[in-house]
Amino acid sequence: MSLLRALTQSRLWALILKEIRQILRNRQIIFLLLFPPTIQLLVFGLALNPAVNHLSLGVTDYSRSPDSREFVASLVANDVFEIASFQPSVAELGQEVRTGQISTGLVIPPDFAENLAMGKPVDVQVLIDGVDANTAGIASGYIQQTINRYGQSLRDLPALPVDIAVRFLYNPGLLSSWFFVPGVIGVVLTLTGSLVSSTTVIREKDVGTLEQLLMTPAMGWEILAAKIAPLFVVLMGDVLLASALGRFVFGLPFRGNYFLFLALSGVYIFVCIGIGILLATISRTQQQVVLTSFFFNVPLIQLSGAIAPIESMPPFFRVLSFFDPLRHYVTIARSLILKGTSFAVLWPEVLTLLVFAALFLGVSIRLFRAQLA
Amino acid sequence: MNRILAQCGKELNQFRRDRLTVALAFVLPLAVLLIYGYAIRLEAKNIPLSIQDFDNSPLSRTYVERLFATNQFVPAPLLGTVPTAPLDRGIAKATVIIPPDFQRQVTAHKPVTVQALVDGTDVNNARVIQNGLRAATQFFLRSSGLLPPQAQSPIEAQVRLWFNPGRQESLYIVPGIFGVILWVFPSMLAAIALVREKEQGTIVQVYASDLSAMAWLLGKELAYLVVGLGEALVVLTVATILFGLRFRGDPTVFIVGLVIYLGAAVAFGLFIGARTGNQTGAVQGTAIAGFLTALLLSGFIYRIENIPFPLSFLSNVIPARYFIEITRDAFVRGTGWPGVWYAPLAIGAIGAFFFRLATRILHRMQFTD
Repeated sequence: MSLLRALTQSRLWALILKEIRQILRNRQIIFLLLFPPTIQLLVFGLALNPAVNHLSLGVTDYSRSPDSREFVASLVANDVFEIASFQPSVAELGQEVRTGQISTGLVIPPDFAENLAMGKPVDVQVLIDGVDANTAGIASGYIQQTINRYGQSLRDLPALPVDIAVRFLYNPGLLSSWFFVPGVIGVVLTLTGSLVSSTTVIREKDVGTLEQLLMTPAMGWEILAAKIAPLFVVLMGDVLLASALGRFVFGLPFRGNYFLFLALSGVYIFVCIGIGILLATISRTQQQVVLTSFFFNVPLIQLSGAIAPIESMPPFFRVLSFFDPLRHYVTIARSLILKGTSFAVLWPEVLTLLVFAALFLGVSIRLFRAQLA
Repeated sequence: MNRILAQCGKELNQFRRDRLTVALAFVLPLAVLLIYGYAIRLEAKNIPLSIQDFDNSPLSRTYVERLFATNQFVPAPLLGTVPTAPLDRGIAKATVIIPPDFQRQVTAHKPVTVQALVDGTDVNNARVIQNGLRAATQFFLRSSGLLPPQAQSPIEAQVRLWFNPGRQESLYIVPGIFGVILWVFPSMLAAIALVREKEQGTIVQVYASDLSAMAWLLGKELAYLVVGLGEALVVLTVATILFGLRFRGDPTVFIVGLVIYLGAAVAFGLFIGARTGNQTGAVQGTAIAGFLTALLLSGFIYRIENIPFPLSFLSNVIPARYFIEITRDAFVRGTGWPGVWYAPLAIGAIGAFFFRLATRILHRMQFTD
């Protein structure tokens, strides 16, 4: 009890109360804490979807036979392709691909039915718009498999000697939001955390109240600790907001220990506060803070694997991404939310994150105090 | 007209004098180009795959060899006996489990099922891995002569990829980056310029002068259109050198579209600037509204058709979406006007709308006598 009393009567406590009051009174900060994170999570989670389905398929059927019609019907049976148009000739089909009206074209030769009946091999031509390299790759894989399977089904065969049964772990429904949302929680914390903490620090620099604070008997560390503590609390509120959105809007499974997730998010928040103080130290005005934050946040987000997978980056960027604290947080968030990984497996990532938190916070505090002196 | 030009000249002079802004106007777009251009690749290569071979026979080893023969997969250690362990730890993206009697069953002409556990976290690559494993299995059957002759499918697909036969992802990503950069930065600069006049109070002089809000804004519009064209030139030159982009076919759509697009971006910035009171708000407004929409609702990363209903409506009024169609056509497809004739029109209409809003806001504030 006496410890608690000692705390509530201390100078630090008074400073913390002052900071909390300042944050609560600042409409802009309250807005920044609630509005952008919600919008970002919703838009990222809903808009980014790599699904390859309902690709528009144009058909030029020179055979015009029941066989060819059945063949076309089998291609669109699984929703990957959707018939957009029938074209009388290859030239017109090609024009439709060129103008982007269809993304896939199928040409069935005139002797399709005859050759099939005679048991001769038939070649059908498939044109795929390759501009979207990723989708084109998956689509070409699908169409080849579908055509193969259809062809084999025409000759009643025994089952294939070796078949491969694929099972998707962690995200059996292949919901794209399950991939993006845990990563975007990290993105949101980075953007909001660095911005909010730099705003609260730079404001005092801007308005000149920092000098007043320095004149008071409060020590440098007390001033900083009093700034960091309430920031930490409000940003933890953002973690709760983000995980609530993840749970109730996107139905994320949160398979791991939720308290471990909260604790590690707390560690990551210290990294973000460190970035924020650093930004506030190197900039003179709020506008500069926002502009220089681009230099930090764009690479931080892009190299983290939150949006594009790290495995597909060129080697240089893959190595660089190890120095990105967000990368480690995204790994932790995905492991805890989707995989249900235990601490025993996660500890190397946790350790790296702790090192980053100590480093960012330490360096930024040192620079900030040097600037004050 | 002279007044507009004079205003434009004054604006450019002011821009030139602010070193930080000039640096940001040209350095930031390049930084974004490099990071996005090199680091956004959707399809994983060298996917780590671990194998649990219970059979360990010559045939199963041939199968494993075939899996790695396509260079899509690289071996990853299994670590113990639990097939999900490497996936949990993230050191493999898939584990293939070969059953103990693999060779015996195959030689006895009994069907065997090989199990594959695939990490479904990264949805896109989960599909890539599934396709890859299936294709490799087919390849194994064919090359080991295990397919009975009648199993050869009578229908063979001759797939041809148009415009980008090597499936280079940079051809998809880099033209998209133009859409993001050339929207976000010109609009941000214009918004800052307008808001600065508000903050410093110089805007009151404009209100008091007989220069109309329209003429004043047109001057700014023109000035930042020039700055935007400068940015575009720098970004395009660097992208041509580093990523080997070349015009395919008729570049006139691109040139016309570029000017209209930059004009729309500046108009958007002026609108945000007219709405907000301080520079921080202006930068955040353009950053959040501009970056988020240009990045996520424009079809820059994944197909625009995949955006679900309420957002898909919004994506129809995002100029970046139309401009990216123009750039992808100009640098990859090469169809020209017949393919994207509507895009410059759509961008122009949206830009005119923003400009109109900005003039209305400022017009209301102007003193009248």
